[in-house]
Amino acid sequence: MTAIETSGGPPGASALAPRAAVSPMLAALRQFGRSPSGVIGAVVLLILMLVTVFGPHLYGIDPLDIAGLPFTPPGEDAWLGTDYLGRDILSGLIHGGRATLTVGGVAAAITIIIGVTMGAISGFFGGAIDTALVKVTEFFQILPPLLFAMVLVTLFGQTLTTITVAIGVVSWPTAARLTRAEFLRLRNLDFVKASRAAGAGNLHLILRVVLPNALPPIIVSATLAIGVAILFEGGLSFLGLGDPNTMSWGLMIGQNRNYVLDGWWTVTFPGAAIFVAVLAISLVGDGINDAINPRLRKRD
Amino acid sequence: MNLALHIMRQVANAIGLLFAVLVLNFCLIHAAPGDPAMVIAGEMGGASADVVAALRVKYGLDHSLIEQLFTYLSKVVAGDFGYSYYFNEPVVSLIAQRIPATLYLVVSALVISIGIGTLLGVISARKPNGLFSQAVTVASLAGYAAPVFWTGLMLLLLFGSVWPILPVSGMTDVARPKTGFAHLMDIIQHLILPSVTLASVFVAQYSRLARVNMIDALTADYVRTARAKGLPERVVIGKHALRNTLIPIVTVAGLQFGHLFAGAVLVETVFSWPGMGRLVFDSILRRDYPTLLAVLFFSAVLVMAANIITDLVYRLIDPRVRSMAR
Repeated sequence: MTAIETSGGPPGASALAPRAAVSPMLAALRQFGRSPSGVIGAVVLLILMLVTVFGPHLYGIDPLDIAGLPFTPPGEDAWLGTDYLGRDILSGLIHGGRATLTVGGVAAAITIIIGVTMGAISGFFGGAIDTALVKVTEFFQILPPLLFAMVLVTLFGQTLTTITVAIGVVSWPTAARLTRAEFLRLRNLDFVKASRAAGAGNLHLILRVVLPNALPPIIVSATLAIGVAILFEGGLSFLGLGDPNTMSWGLMIGQNRNYVLDGWWTVTFPGAAIFVAVLAISLVGDGINDAINPRLRKRD
Repeated sequence: MNLALHIMRQVANAIGLLFAVLVLNFCLIHAAPGDPAMVIAGEMGGASADVVAALRVKYGLDHSLIEQLFTYLSKVVAGDFGYSYYFNEPVVSLIAQRIPATLYLVVSALVISIGIGTLLGVISARKPNGLFSQAVTVASLAGYAAPVFWTGLMLLLLFGSVWPILPVSGMTDVARPKTGFAHLMDIIQHLILPSVTLASVFVAQYSRLARVNMIDALTADYVRTARAKGLPERVVIGKHALRNTLIPIVTVAGLQFGHLFAGAVLVETVFSWPGMGRLVFDSILRRDYPTLLAVLFFSAVLVMAANIITDLVYRLIDPRVRSMAR
């Protein structure tokens, strides 16, 4: 990735400068616009979201209905073919995207909320609290996340909610470590001390003073967490742990897995959909990273 | 002198964490909806009413939770992880049979991904903006974004029907059993596709990591010194710069071991590789909870072992950390 050189100025200095007329948000957005791969990723992601939101209204075939003969190859009868039961693959992609992307988004939100809370408390207070929370994080890190999610979904039931929560619950340690490191770095800086001296309480310091400054890496990590969650949803569904009542990309692959040699299209298209979505998300993540990298970022 | 003490501390820490995993397992059994005795027996494990009643007595399910926890822990310490009513075998022996196959897969994938990843990263670092470097960047993004089970299925399609030169299923040729060296070659042949599939995810990350660190290393003073001494480029890169490039890769590889193991579960399912992953798949299908929970525990054991080994390798590569206790 090529870093784009801008006159970022030393941190803190530009906060006083009058040219802070451009909001940091807008500046980051402009910076993002200069990364071609990031823009491509964002456009692809937008298209995918539009298709999953409006597609079901435009393409009338129900993804769970038998639309034709089993293993109809892609062609006039079914654009992308049908699966082992005769269900329409294209319809599955359109409807399944909704579930897959929703699980990805919500699970990533859970990951970030847990991770940031743990990391922030740990890094901000330090001492015994930090030691204890680091131990908890370490504990969660020795459990292979996907395997742990499998156990949770097997025990607590195969619903979309369980799957989403399970993915969120197993994947937060990365975000926690990251947030903790940022808080450790920031908590003793002058502007935090100044706020504390001005009488700010711990909660205010954490949420309003330190967190905004720790956000850039957290935002990047949140973006990438969506991609990871989509891959996890795919993996769980592939092993038969999807929600059988809701079509998703992973479920399509999982259910057609045994028939891959009878109809290559049944698994190739849903897998390609996951691939494209995760690729787009990581391109956006890279783009955001370049745009709000602390070295390039204007301070707010 | 410190090393023995350090390892002992690591092991003590590991035992503490593994103990916590057992407590978690216990909590999961009791938090799961339904009767714990049924959970232990496995919903579809074919447990009869007698078996369930026996389990209730055996695990003291009529006692308080704390007492039950102690019963559970003492059983585990004695090596009793329960009985798989589906496989009709103690869980421990089931896992013991499967661990070698999983280790073959995981270790070969690790070797392939670190080897190829580092190689690609090092080559592309020499011309960071060159065509090769760009291609490696694109390939690593693709490797990261492709779901590993899908990559596996695509390879299975390719080598199963289009270009059948490699076996796509199992660990040995069941139709033509071999012995000795031929047997080994048979296993290696069967191992190629699964390990390449599993490695594809990680090659991506290691090549990116190697590229970034190699670029950093190549501008460092010690590399300039080495060049100024007149050392051949091969030695400068292969010995001086590579060592510092490997440190972060080893660290990440250690941290990633859990992901590698989870990836193995998916890959084994695709290629019917007879390891722990396949066992996980079967036990999910049969709701065989004792097996599933024991696999979770033993995977944590493997991750801990990997962490300790990583730490030792790290010390081997980087003399600076030898004196520091973590």
